[in-house]
Amino acid sequence: MSDAHHGFNLREWIFTTDHKRIGILYLIGALSAFAIAGTFAIMIRMQQYGPGMQVFDSGSGYNTALYFHGAAMILVFLIPALTGFFANYFLPLMIGAKDVAFPRINAFSVWLFYAAIILALVSLVIPDPPDVMWTGYPPYSVTTEGNTAFYVFTVHLLGFSSILGAINFLVTVIYMRAPGMGWNQLNMFVWTILAAFILQLIFIPVLASAVTMLLFDKYLGTHFFDPAMGGDVLLYQNLFWFYSHPAVYVILLPAIGILFDVIATMGKNRIFNYKVCVYAGIGGVLALAGEVWIHHLYVAGVPDWIRVGMMITTLLISVPIGLMLMSLWGTLYKASITFNVAMHYASACLFLLLIGGLTGIPLAMTVMTANLGQTSFVHAHFHFVMALFSTFAIISGIYYWFPKMTGRLAEGKLAVVAFWFNIIGVNITFWPLFIIGVQGMPRRYFSYEQFPQFAPYHHVATYGSFLVALGMVLTLINWIKSAFWGVKSEANPWHSKSLEWTHTPNPPGPGNFPHDVTVSADWTPYDYVK
Amino acid sequence: MTAHSTTAHGTPIEHQGHGHHWETSIAPFAVVFGVFFLLPLTFSMHFVYHNTILTAVFAGIGLPLILFGVAKWIDEGLTQKPLVAGLAGVGMPIFIVSEIFIFLSFFATYWMVRLSTYSWPPEHTPEMPVLLPLFMTFLLITSSVTVHIAEEKLEHGDLAAFRKWLVITVLFGLAFLSCTTFEYHHLLEHDFLPSTNAFSMIFFSITGFHASHVFLGLSIFIAILLPALGGRVNKTFVLCGSIYWHFVDVVWIFVVSQIYFW
Repeated sequence: MSDAHHGFNLREWIFTTDHKRIGILYLIGALSAFAIAGTFAIMIRMQQYGPGMQVFDSGSGYNTALYFHGAAMILVFLIPALTGFFANYFLPLMIGAKDVAFPRINAFSVWLFYAAIILALVSLVIPDPPDVMWTGYPPYSVTTEGNTAFYVFTVHLLGFSSILGAINFLVTVIYMRAPGMGWNQLNMFVWTILAAFILQLIFIPVLASAVTMLLFDKYLGTHFFDPAMGGDVLLYQNLFWFYSHPAVYVILLPAIGILFDVIATMGKNRIFNYKVCVYAGIGGVLALAGEVWIHHLYVAGVPDWIRVGMMITTLLISVPIGLMLMSLWGTLYKASITFNVAMHYASACLFLLLIGGLTGIPLAMTVMTANLGQTSFVHAHFHFVMALFSTFAIISGIYYWFPKMTGRLAEGKLAVVAFWFNIIGVNITFWPLFIIGVQGMPRRYFSYEQFPQFAPYHHVATYGSFLVALGMVLTLINWIKSAFWGVKSEANPWHSKSLEWTHTPNPPGPGNFPHDVTVSADWTPYDYVK
Repeated sequence: MTAHSTTAHGTPIEHQGHGHHWETSIAPFAVVFGVFFLLPLTFSMHFVYHNTILTAVFAGIGLPLILFGVAKWIDEGLTQKPLVAGLAGVGMPIFIVSEIFIFLSFFATYWMVRLSTYSWPPEHTPEMPVLLPLFMTFLLITSSVTVHIAEEKLEHGDLAAFRKWLVITVLFGLAFLSCTTFEYHHLLEHDFLPSTNAFSMIFFSITGFHASHVFLGLSIFIAILLPALGGRVNKTFVLCGSIYWHFVDVVWIFVVSQIYFW
């Protein structure tokens, strides 16, 4: 055990360079963003309750809500929670490292993240808030009265934060693994984080340049996206989705990685097809991630040969993801499962990913997207993958590692009740959107007077979202309650074989490991079945 | 209890992460909020809200914060020992991968814009200089050689020669930036502004972005040079600065060939 200072020291937290504390800072920021952006989600749902104005005074108020909900959920909640919080706290522990390679750069990353949060919050209270959704498409983003600059700078700050994080974690995994730890002995979570950061490193710069050109167009009078002056309006969409489609895998992969660790530990089982999953599954996603973005531009007027080519790659990328999903199911085969709260959420994820993935296949096809692309079918599809699957994986991971971070358990009736609110609520919210999407309910519109027949479905969806809100509030209450007054946990409550459970106290002190860690050649973190 | 050891010169070196106390550093926090004030807020105050006073205030907060943070960071980097030595020499090339993709997206934009028009250069483009970019290429390539010599001198323990060759490198870099300034001044006088036409926006964004990299490279060298005057040098830091400088040099070859001689 460490003889670290006991009690709370604000200075030690703000100026910390310790990866665990930085992880907690990421978690606080990400969950705050989740709460605020979630509130906007409820407002958006209430606005959609019936045709006409419900909660917003004007369309632009609704646009600002869409902007903040989308940008904050993806850029400030999902990506930082997965590649900021989980990676920071658990990756060094999993590989037996005392910290990341560059602790000060790590602190730099987390405060860039907070600077972005501050900017995003400021952009809500200024008289001309950004109203460009999370995509910022020109020409609207260039001609709007809204403050597009704050959108651009939020992206810059978060992007720079992620690029530095990528450097940090790539170097950490390559050079700071415990002596004896080979590549096939890594936790699945470590692999997925590695892959996510490779994607961040390569693709974020492209988004950064796209929004920079947007900034120049709006404020310096250049014409990057103005066809009348020799620019190209589709250029922005290409650059934007060149990053933002891989961003989906930046979120999806670590979420899958968490599930592997939860399911293998709770099932006391090996990873089914570990090597296939790593090299074909994760490797396949890495290889294809940058060659599918045109499926966001099917109806934007791109040549057929690109559309058909990218349709094939888009369909193809479901193969490596399918491999990983099969490995997840296979890990359950002959497992002796402890069905705790983390496992509740993990099993829900298997279902949510299946629905989200299967509804993506029609959207990959150009003929289907021509009809479905601008409807709430898309809306429901990506919420199943991004919002529901990834968020449930995050919640599952927090429950799983809760004793590691706090020394206490967050199990109990409240957690399970909240789980059922959540899983029932999300299904009630998003299934109606699939149905009316197929019938032609347009997405993004602030009102739908032309389609009064869809109102009953929107009623149901809105009530479902209230259920989710209740479930999330209960989950948050449960975490806060358990962190301070929960049942004390034993050192390794799930009897895991992974280093973060076997070699460190709960929570780990400075320097993580009381003794230097080495692993033997036949050790793996999933060493349950011999 | 903090683990201590000493260098050959007898100055105490702290080991990061080995100790039993929580590591802290004020430097990253200061730099982040310095950057936050200096870039997003100052830009917005000037270009979005046209508020001169707040522009000056925010810049006035941001710049000192950055300078303080960077100085503190360098000081810590020179006195503390990392968990694993020399990893920054790997981190820098990884950073350069992402830099390459920023340049690639600007070049891709250029190619897309240029290849989809019928006549190039577009109207209102003045005659572009030919000799100046060649001279600038000479300056940068020479500076890459001189920084390499500086590194060699440091490797042989000749600190005085290291400082001399580093100063020479900085002078070459400054000469390069002076050429850029001269050229921009000349073009702006001929009403060739970023907003003039499709070529001007490409020209100013790519050369400007490259020049900002030259500026950053020079700042790194100055950050190495100042402590080196007092005899404090971190070889990994020098290696990183030099890798970055070579990268800036290589990118310039692409800039010159694509912008001036195509």
